[in-house]
Amino acid sequence: MSASTTGTLTVVISQAQGRNPTKRRLEEELAQALLAEPGISVTLVPHLYDMSQNHSGLQFLREVRGDLLVLGWLYERAIRWTLDRAGVRGRLAETLLRAADEADEDDDEDESADERHAAGGIGSVDVPDRALWCIDFRASEKCQDFVNEIRRMRDAGAAAEVAGFDLLSWISGNPSAEQLQRYLQPERLLEARRNFDGGAASLEDRAVLPEDTGRRWYPVIDYSRCTNCMECIDFCLFGVYGVDALDRILVEQQDNCKKGCPACSRVCPANAIIFPHHKTAAIAGAEGEVSGLKIDLTKLFGGDEGESAIEMAVKERDRELILDGRDAVGMSVGIRQRHREQMDQLLADLDALQF
Amino acid sequence: MQQPFVFMMGQYEAQMPADRMYSKRHLWLQSCGTDVYRVGFTAYSVRLLQDVYFLEWSVDEGALVRDRQEIGEVESAKAVSSMFPPSAGRILRFNPELLRDPSGINADNYGTGWLYEFRPDGELLTAEQYLEHLRTAWEEAQRTIKGQMNEG
Repeated sequence: MSASTTGTLTVVISQAQGRNPTKRRLEEELAQALLAEPGISVTLVPHLYDMSQNHSGLQFLREVRGDLLVLGWLYERAIRWTLDRAGVRGRLAETLLRAADEADEDDDEDESADERHAAGGIGSVDVPDRALWCIDFRASEKCQDFVNEIRRMRDAGAAAEVAGFDLLSWISGNPSAEQLQRYLQPERLLEARRNFDGGAASLEDRAVLPEDTGRRWYPVIDYSRCTNCMECIDFCLFGVYGVDALDRILVEQQDNCKKGCPACSRVCPANAIIFPHHKTAAIAGAEGEVSGLKIDLTKLFGGDEGESAIEMAVKERDRELILDGRDAVGMSVGIRQRHREQMDQLLADLDALQF
Repeated sequence: MQQPFVFMMGQYEAQMPADRMYSKRHLWLQSCGTDVYRVGFTAYSVRLLQDVYFLEWSVDEGALVRDRQEIGEVESAKAVSSMFPPSAGRILRFNPELLRDPSGINADNYGTGWLYEFRPDGELLTAEQYLEHLRTAWEEAQRTIKGQMNEG
């Protein structure tokens, strides 16, 4: 075990949901390439967003010491704050490999997203002194691009003294070593995954594969933007939000969240609430505040358009209330006066556009 | 077999087979049992979307859905859209092939690229009626697309 625990840089590949062959191929190709790289330990975990807090994949991530890179099929912000929620933190280090649409937006900005929003954001807590990189797998289709960037990270972080994993806590049995052992055998993990996807998994393969994950839906808070204003907790009527011992807003009951409903994200004045799988890039965690990178055909396929964010949020919340057998509340609950004024203005603006 | 109807989207010939029903949401419905229809994107939808690479449903199989209720989303290299059912009704089963690989929508949108099986509770359109609807919808589509391009 010890030989594979002394990498300077730990690379964790968070795998795509489903069995998309193109995504699987890139994940596997990259894992294979990194196995041969000195100074790097690589492993694979299930999709980051879908793992429950006690999933062995998240427990493994918590045990990683030293510089850490997590790659996943999510926007960087979504990866970073999903990790934060799981207690996996670090100094966010800059990634040069980014999805084209994100990189373009950054060209106009000298500051990083964090700095831009730092003014009001309450920030993270208990951040250890190590580098944390997050890469959106959609940044490139070419494995070599990732390998090159990862080499750069490894070389940049070469000074890190502490690396590997916290073996002491493993030996003490929390979490149990057997549960996490699989992540130290990436080759075996890859083989088992291939067999499983091919429908020929043996019992041994199943034992190696991490616990199954189902698709989930819940908000992820970006604390670099969040001002702790509590609008989300006032607005959500499903008991998703709570506060921690420091009175910081917290996603307390994530699975109370209503699948497909991003309403709290729309009412958040700081754009701090991410739903990583929402179709609107800004809600899914893209940098910037507005989407519009792609043509939205929703109106043509029967949807509505020309509503303010608040109006949409109220409608989404009412829909979920009714599906729960409760009464719709419209604008009467959890909407602050400022929003009402904003909405009147927005509607006036929209009328003026005469789209 | 009757020749398919053709709608010209600029230079592009969008074909609409005459052997099935349609919905204003740019979906076709073909009977595959008592009160059960397979539902798929028409050539018109596929032309607007182009290469689909992401498809996700936000309701479960067996769900009762209302007209204009969002049931999922589709994303292609150029476009993104929420999806809506052809009418109110019940979604019985999703096409399992597409869950693995949504490119079947582009490969065979009127056949193996069907989206789901559906028990409609609402009016459907004949191919002729759909074609009539397209004449106005196409104007609106061009305006919408141009409008978004100009904003960008």
